[in-house]
Amino acid sequence: MTTLYVLDVPENTPLAKVAGEDPEVTVGRVGPYFEISAAGPIVIDRRATGCRHAVWYSAVGGVARDSHITQHDKDALRVEPA
Amino acid sequence: MTELDHRVQGVDHVAFPTFDPAATVRFYRDVLGFPVVHSICAAGWGPEDHPDFIHFFFDIGNGDRIAFFYYFGTGTEIGGAPGAKGDVYARFGAEVPEFFVRSRHLAIHVDSDEDLLEYRRRLDASDWPVEMQIQHETIESIYTHDPNGYMFEITRAMRPVTPQEDLDANLTIDALLDVVSEPEPTFGKLLARKAELIVERAADWELTRSEQEAGR
Repeated sequence: MTTLYVLDVPENTPLAKVAGEDPEVTVGRVGPYFEISAAGPIVIDRRATGCRHAVWYSAVGGVARDSHITQHDKDALRVEPA
Repeated sequence: MTELDHRVQGVDHVAFPTFDPAATVRFYRDVLGFPVVHSICAAGWGPEDHPDFIHFFFDIGNGDRIAFFYYFGTGTEIGGAPGAKGDVYARFGAEVPEFFVRSRHLAIHVDSDEDLLEYRRRLDASDWPVEMQIQHETIESIYTHDPNGYMFEITRAMRPVTPQEDLDANLTIDALLDVVSEPEPTFGKLLARKAELIVERAADWELTRSEQEAGR
């Protein structure tokens, strides 16, 4: 299982939206956070989100202990089962 | 955690030494238009080896002030050997990374994009033009270095801060304190601890908040 949390603020909403376009990915909520989860990897394309770099590199609110970030660069954010 | 009442009222003054009061006055008063609001002309300060000095203040808005000390008869050597990087107060070798040198700085707030661009215009017409204009996460800033080498930022909020950002900041700090209390803190460990705190506290926070809103 892969789970990451992203705070629901205007800059971050495109990130949750792009993540949710993958049919394998579920976007739920815990309080004011998006809870983005999948059985396998979650991959979010930065350009598809339109996030500028300062937003992109500070958008991750939390990553569950059974998951870890394997890529977070100018191209993509990839979170995989640990 | 603690519910201490919060009584402070912002910055009274932040103070720096200068060895070039003429350029400092030009930068803050004549270029930026920050009024001179206070000064102290002191014959030493008690101890015999204390130089005579002028302590002068510029208004940076809200009655807050930036202040400088000019010590007669001193030069930059009083602060130690010259550095390859840094300013007249803090000197660093060439090997010190730029992010570290820039990490300590003063940022002055403006209310709007229009005001930010007005200060950009004033700086660009001076000997200290804007070096960078950057949109960060939720703020946009211009930067230059003042005549003393101090990094100087003016910033505006691109939108108001939302209540959930205060929650997020508190969860971040609680997670940070947890991971730095253990050996070898990493960003990955912080995000894992923060995920746990989000699960524990974020749903309740939203519920409590919506009840408070409804009760108003």
